Amino acid sequence: MSAIIETRGLVMAFPSTRALDSLDVSIPNGVTGLVGANGAGKTTLISLVLGLLTPTSGSLSVLGLDPSTSGPELRARIGYGPERNVFPDDLRAYDFVRHLAEVKGLPRDEARSRASDSLYLVGLGEERFRALGTMSTGQRQRVKLAQAIAADPRLIVLDEPTDGLDPVQRDEMLNIIVQVNRNFGIDVVLSSHVLEEVERVCDHVVALAEGKLIAQGSMAELAGASGGIEMELVEIVDRPTSIDDVAAQLVAAGAGVRRDGTTLSVVGLSDDELFDLAARSVAQCGARLRRLGNRRRTLDDIFASDDPGEDSQGGEWVGGDGRGSGGPS
Amino acid sequence: MNVPGRGDAQIVERGFQRYEGPRSGVPGAIRSVSWESIRATLGLGRPARNKIFPVIAVVIAYLPAVVFIGIAVLIPGDILEPEDVADYPGYYGFIILAIVLFTALVAPEVLVSDRRNGMLAMYLSTPLDRRTYLVAKAVAVAAMLGLVTLLPPVLMLIGYSVENSGPDGLGGWLATLGRIVLSGIAISAALAAVSMAASSLTDRRAFAAIGIVLLLFATPILAAALVEGADLSPYWRLIDISTMPFELVFRIFGDPGNFPELATWAVLASNLVWTIGGIAVVWWRYSKLVIAR
Repeated sequence: MSAIIETRGLVMAFPSTRALDSLDVSIPNGVTGLVGANGAGKTTLISLVLGLLTPTSGSLSVLGLDPSTSGPELRARIGYGPERNVFPDDLRAYDFVRHLAEVKGLPRDEARSRASDSLYLVGLGEERFRALGTMSTGQRQRVKLAQAIAADPRLIVLDEPTDGLDPVQRDEMLNIIVQVNRNFGIDVVLSSHVLEEVERVCDHVVALAEGKLIAQGSMAELAGASGGIEMELVEIVDRPTSIDDVAAQLVAAGAGVRRDGTTLSVVGLSDDELFDLAARSVAQCGARLRRLGNRRRTLDDIFASDDPGEDSQGGEWVGGDGRGSGGPS
Repeated sequence: MNVPGRGDAQIVERGFQRYEGPRSGVPGAIRSVSWESIRATLGLGRPARNKIFPVIAVVIAYLPAVVFIGIAVLIPGDILEPEDVADYPGYYGFIILAIVLFTALVAPEVLVSDRRNGMLAMYLSTPLDRRTYLVAKAVAVAAMLGLVTLLPPVLMLIGYSVENSGPDGLGGWLATLGRIVLSGIAISAALAAVSMAASSLTDRRAFAAIGIVLLLFATPILAAALVEGADLSPYWRLIDISTMPFELVFRIFGDPGNFPELATWAVLASNLVWTIGGIAVVWWRYSKLVIAR
């Protein structure tokens, strides 16, 4: 699988800060999530990919080209959906998309038909002649996606494309993004801070923190089955300590345990041993089990494991003598 | 007659598809951005309220030409005196309000809006870079100013010629047309550069427009104060951006103009300095802008 974006020792330093620090990233075809907190370097990386900034040092290749030397040629093949609402409010959606398709190099007639086709694809066919200023947030996000794909790019870079959307609109937008990749072979880089949606739609993930790479790889590698089990217990009024008792038994048996409400994540032994141990502990403590299954590592775990002082999901790990995947140190 | 029936009906595939055809590259991008900027300034494809201001300015610019042509049509040629109709360089005196309005309207609309609403970053994520973006915008501003500085005198030339009041012979006609074109370009270039410079310094359209108007009114007052009030050299008039482009037009038509004490080369130099200085300010400002998505 070829890399559509590749960096080697990429550094972007501003007078007051080092936004990217020796970044080695390889983004393959497909839908890739670019995740990280504010200030992680996502915006800087996108700006470098688009050629809006020139790196301080290191190398960057996008679609096999260097943005700082082949900018115009490269940018004609990249669609970009910014986070900001970059709309001339009194312009019609169709005119906005058509204009940007023309700027990307499409002949006028082609730009016209593709503007309509793109707006139909994102579900705004009937609304395409409405002024942008009269559109809802969800419609504006769709217009941004439509203009990104209208000129038939090889790659689209979308910055927080579900920002401001309600859950239904978010699902629809994510489905369209996946459809654009699967049906038309357009690679997608999706910058988001909503890890759940990245897990849902992305094939690959690049996780940044404070300008450094903390993880990259396929979603299956990073957020799939991770070893260990997860058990959800029922709180019992008569036995308020039952969940703690179960956890204590598991720790006593050599497992590492993390409690998040009524859910216990358990690692440190083989899965078979953990399942047996869990069943015994629940029975001995008189607890009630609602759900038991393999533990799945999430993107939250990646960020949590990057910074041991912060745990984005649940409490501290207790017990265990080794660090499982996402488990206790 | 062959009437298409149901058997002739066909479904033409419609929907988003890949595009493998040619792309126009940077020249096409410049053309498209220039044209869209012109459309925005004229309010084309926008609600009616966006058209009011440009329509007023265009009417002011073209009305005198229509009136002068009307005079030439209505008054027989043997009675018509040259002073009854405006000459070409003198025409600008009738439309100075339209030119000021356009100068104050166009560049802020074309430049400031993009910075305010984020379209600048959008454009720079296309084949355009800062230099080609500014070229596109400069073409738009100059073309819009040409609408009021170039076309009305051309219209007048055509009207006079139709009424046999125009220049003598094809050579004379072409020479006059050449002078009109050169004059329009000179005025448009100087005013476009200055107004773009003012528009590059603020992110508020109103401030840019006010700044341009102040500049256009302040420099003649300052020049007059220095020359007539302080009794300094008449060459201090060269700082007057409102007057020097039109003074250059007189010289292009071989007329000594309103300030015959100023050498033509000095008037030309003044226009060049204003034009190049304006471009330098715009480039300095945009090269310093940090544009991140």
